[in-house]
Amino acid sequence: MVNIHSTAIVSSKAHLGENVTISPFAIIHDEVEIGDNTFIGPKTVVYDYTTIGNNVKIFQNASIGHTPQDLKFKGEITHCYIGDNSIIHEFVTIHRGTAASLKTTIGKNVYIMDYSHVAHDCVVEDNCIIANLTQIAGHVHIYQNAVIGGNVKILQFMRIGKFCMIQGSRTINKDIPPYILAGTEEVQYGGLNSIGLRRNGFSSDQIQHIKKIYNYIFESKLNISQAKEKISAEFSNDPFAIEILAFINESKIGIISK
Amino acid sequence: MSNIHPSAIVSPNAKLGENVIVEPFAWIHDNVEIGNDCWIGPHVIIYDGARIGNEVKIYQSASVSHQPQDKKYNNEETFCFIGDKSRIHEFATIHRGTSGTGKTTLGKSVLIMAYAHVAHDCVIGDNCILANAVQLGGFTQVDDWAIIGGSVPVHQFVKIGKHVIVGGGTKIGKDIPPFIMAAGEPIKYYGLNLVGLKRRGFTSDQLEKIKMIYKIIYDSHLNFSQAKEKLMNEMPEDIFAKEVINFMNLSTRGLIGK
Repeated sequence: MVNIHSTAIVSSKAHLGENVTISPFAIIHDEVEIGDNTFIGPKTVVYDYTTIGNNVKIFQNASIGHTPQDLKFKGEITHCYIGDNSIIHEFVTIHRGTAASLKTTIGKNVYIMDYSHVAHDCVVEDNCIIANLTQIAGHVHIYQNAVIGGNVKILQFMRIGKFCMIQGSRTINKDIPPYILAGTEEVQYGGLNSIGLRRNGFSSDQIQHIKKIYNYIFESKLNISQAKEKISAEFSNDPFAIEILAFINESKIGIISK
Repeated sequence: MSNIHPSAIVSPNAKLGENVIVEPFAWIHDNVEIGNDCWIGPHVIIYDGARIGNEVKIYQSASVSHQPQDKKYNNEETFCFIGDKSRIHEFATIHRGTSGTGKTTLGKSVLIMAYAHVAHDCVIGDNCILANAVQLGGFTQVDDWAIIGGSVPVHQFVKIGKHVIVGGGTKIGKDIPPFIMAAGEPIKYYGLNLVGLKRRGFTSDQLEKIKMIYKIIYDSHLNFSQAKEKLMNEMPEDIFAKEVINFMNLSTRGLIGK
């Protein structure tokens, strides 16, 4: 029994397993195989030469098995494989291979979050997690159980070892050996948003005032609790000081440093 | 003869050339012109003001010529030009101009990869490549043959010279003069884009000339205005020097450092 919404377009040549759900406005092209119990979300398009396993979930607007973004690609027949139990979230794009390796492969139990991109000829092994917006260029190999944080950029031909974890927003331009944590750069205090404050009607006096408060926090040699004491002593009734101190006190994981 | 899928919505006022294919669920608005042999992918929406050349391919769910993300925009009629043979990949968004310049322009054979964003009033030259998730701010200028690596955000009003290549994952806040490689945090000069220039038929003599120019700009102890003067004195007739000087003169945000 297959459950295809009336607005979906499913090629009669496509092979669909048992109990497959195709949501509204989804499009399934000719040379596609979809395993049992797989869910294809609304507006998702599955292009030619794609093979999807069992129990896979693909959410809204994903693009699976489209032609690679590679100027060398000349329309050759190449494939895209998605393993069993994998989950692919909204707006993800996964391209099929080029002549170089002929296929792009996603393993089993892989979890790919919103907006991520897996380019041509990549291999993502079993149990990997790829967080939002991560962009993986061509020919990258991610070994089993690796976890890639959000908004990570992985350049072409990189290898990410098994059981690695990569912090968000990093650029990966060298191979990462297995079992390690990669990424250290932290966000820092960069002064006041004075243009934004001025546009929102803060006076120069007010801005100077806020700056003085932050000078104690970030520019003095005090630690945060000393700075807090100093601020409450010096600006006892000041609304900005009260606001900033309240924010710091409510912080569970601590505030950024300079 | 155009081939429009029955589920696509194409305004009777839109002008479509010969042999245009419009895939399912695509939507083409009134004030749109599309040349010959174009392919409009599924779920693509082309809004008013789009002027699309010949042999252009626009992939799934891309948004072309939508309203600019600019608070000053007040529904004025503006345009979005896309040159022949350009390719716009999945989920890319290209906005039309504001009254600032009246148009957003993409040249010929431009490759815009998935999730990239081209803001209002940008001008992109011929043969440029924007890799995945590149986000251009408004009024950005990208000259012919420039390549911007994946996930690079570009500040508004930045100018990127001809034949420049920018490493993936960097941030661009200043102008990048022609013929060079730029990467790093903060972004800086990394020598000439030798691979790109050789591919495009620059001779070794020409490369030597360009190298001399950049030695004066980045490898002497001169500041940019002194370097410019020196170039004008020492290489007054050299076409590449003229080009670089011209770029420096038009730069509003200052050049990247070394």
